Amino acid sequence: MKAAVLALLLPALAQAALAEEGVFRKRVVAADGTALALYRYVPSGGGRGKPAVLLVPELGFGREAYDLSGSGLARFLQANGREVYLAELRGQGKSGAPTGWRLSQLVSLDLPAVAAAIRAERPGPLDLLAHGYSGTLALAASEVELRGAVRRVVALSTPVFPEVPSSHAESLFASGGKLSGLGAGPPAARTFELLFALGGNFPRGRLAELRGTGLSDLGKAASSDLLGWMREGDLELGGGSSVRRRIGRYGRPTLLFLPLGDNFAHPEFASPLREVSAAKVTVRVLSRVELLDEDYSHLSLLHGEDAEDDVFEPALEFLDAPEPASAPSSPAAADGGADAR
Amino acid sequence: MRGDFSLPAVALALAACLGCKSAYFEPRPKEAILHKARTGDGWEIRLVQYRAHGEPRGRPVLLCHGISANDRNMDLDKDHSMARWFASRGRDAWTVSLRGTGESDRINPEKGRQGGYDFDTLWREDLPEAIAYVREQSGGGTIDYVGHSMGGMLAYAYLSQGGGGLNAVATLGSPTRLDWGGMFEPLLEKLAEVAVGKESVVPMALSSQISVPLQGELPAGPVQLLLYNPRNVGKETWKRLVAIGTDDISGGVTLQIIGMVRSGRFGSADGRLDYRKDLAKVRTPVLVVAGKLDRLAIAPAVKDAYRALGGPKEWLLVSEANGAQADYGHMDLIVGDRAASEVWPKVEDFFERHEN
Repeated sequence: MKAAVLALLLPALAQAALAEEGVFRKRVVAADGTALALYRYVPSGGGRGKPAVLLVPELGFGREAYDLSGSGLARFLQANGREVYLAELRGQGKSGAPTGWRLSQLVSLDLPAVAAAIRAERPGPLDLLAHGYSGTLALAASEVELRGAVRRVVALSTPVFPEVPSSHAESLFASGGKLSGLGAGPPAARTFELLFALGGNFPRGRLAELRGTGLSDLGKAASSDLLGWMREGDLELGGGSSVRRRIGRYGRPTLLFLPLGDNFAHPEFASPLREVSAAKVTVRVLSRVELLDEDYSHLSLLHGEDAEDDVFEPALEFLDAPEPASAPSSPAAADGGADAR
Repeated sequence: MRGDFSLPAVALALAACLGCKSAYFEPRPKEAILHKARTGDGWEIRLVQYRAHGEPRGRPVLLCHGISANDRNMDLDKDHSMARWFASRGRDAWTVSLRGTGESDRINPEKGRQGGYDFDTLWREDLPEAIAYVREQSGGGTIDYVGHSMGGMLAYAYLSQGGGGLNAVATLGSPTRLDWGGMFEPLLEKLAEVAVGKESVVPMALSSQISVPLQGELPAGPVQLLLYNPRNVGKETWKRLVAIGTDDISGGVTLQIIGMVRSGRFGSADGRLDYRKDLAKVRTPVLVVAGKLDRLAIAPAVKDAYRALGGPKEWLLVSEANGAQADYGHMDLIVGDRAASEVWPKVEDFFERHEN
């Protein structure tokens, strides 16, 4: 009897409205049974006139990357009429983190599950907004697992030719990627700053809040994957595929942000996207020479004092721009795949 | 009537300029030895030799400045001198002023030195002559080379087209891709189109010298943002560099560089040679150095060369996260207060590891 009641209640519990207006959390289950948290931000009016936007946070970060205490890119897009889905993939935020989970599973299991869940609610193409290393994994998925599902991409510091960015990163990931440990004590705070925030202008208290609440451990296997990816410059995705091979086929129209001060995903790791992919990539270097107030770090891209003007607005402008009269076809479209446009 | 005002104004400006230049003038050390070499097309270029202290402990090293600069970038004063530093480390150091800069020949049509020379001229004529001259003076063996900014780009072009005589090379802040969609790129292109003729000279020396009193006085001024980090380069050092280390740019060089901004290509002015593609053939060891806070030659633009090179090659990003006291800007790599401890030893180490 209890089981029957529970079964009746589950769908309601699974898509529970948070105590925040227009924000819903949904539980998505990946093919291996891992539970993922998917947040849906519905704008007033429903936002059905434009593609929804899927936000993918950086490895080791969760929802807070895009929505910290009610402000951030998710809320900005919502306020500007976009329906937003914010996915916490395995190891992030409130999603499950099965022992020994691997980075390749974000591509093969999590992103397809998330895309299917969104498609069930909201058919049609998505825009993708991807940050950092997990952002690159989302780009890699866009021509295979998410084939036909992605229209345009805003790539925030997404490394395609990564290297170990510094000895601080090497130490962190060689010892298991315990990012939550960066929330404690001055030495850890310095490491956090050197990796993610150096030189950024943050509203008072925001960085400390993010450091205190927004970090998740990677786990040994995923941490080893990430360090291997940085050392080798490529990550095997199984079935003879790798991130680099996938990026070679990548063809979505993309706005690529290169923050000059990023010490985690250095801009030179991400910049080759326009050379090695088939995509039309528009590059935007974020530096003070462009009359900005900072050179932007990995996190000030999303949480900086002026991120709304310098990052969010141009990102929205790119997503909202009318389709060109004769848009170049993507590899997916060229070989018969459903073109999202 | 207009002439009544303009003449005194020009005189005043020149006087101010000369005053500033002399206020910050620093003679070369007395042990510096001046040399003259003549290029294949008849231009005299000036080289300065700084003899190794004690027994030579490595090959001679040729140091080449960037655009709008001269040899004094490599020997600004006793505290900011890569030339004197290498000499103190037991290597003969040589600086060069490319044509049209420093004490090298300037455009003089009456003497057959026509304007219009471009980037290609510099790597085809000046660089080979400087390398050959230093080798000849040093017993004929190969030498090592450090190029800052365009000085490194010249080495890339030279090596990519089979240039020899170099044992190992370090480039500091030398980009090979210049199209980054910056908001000032279209303005720069338009300005060059309207104001710069191939045969002309962009008078950077005079305009810089006039600006010396203002240099470094504005926090986060445009020059500072573009060229140096004040945490690494003091105000007086910067003023000295502007006063004695800044020089004119040939219209031809300007237009070729602007062409690279426009096209994203790193190649010859006539479009026939693709230097970036040909970098894959280079087998001379190259250390590619970038400053994290270099907003002129941004790290992605510098890394472009590293990726294109055939190897052996190494990459060095000079940044706080990598152990420097502060992130490095464009000029910090050669005149930074701590460059002698944070940057140059890594160049020396690279050269030593590639001794044949």
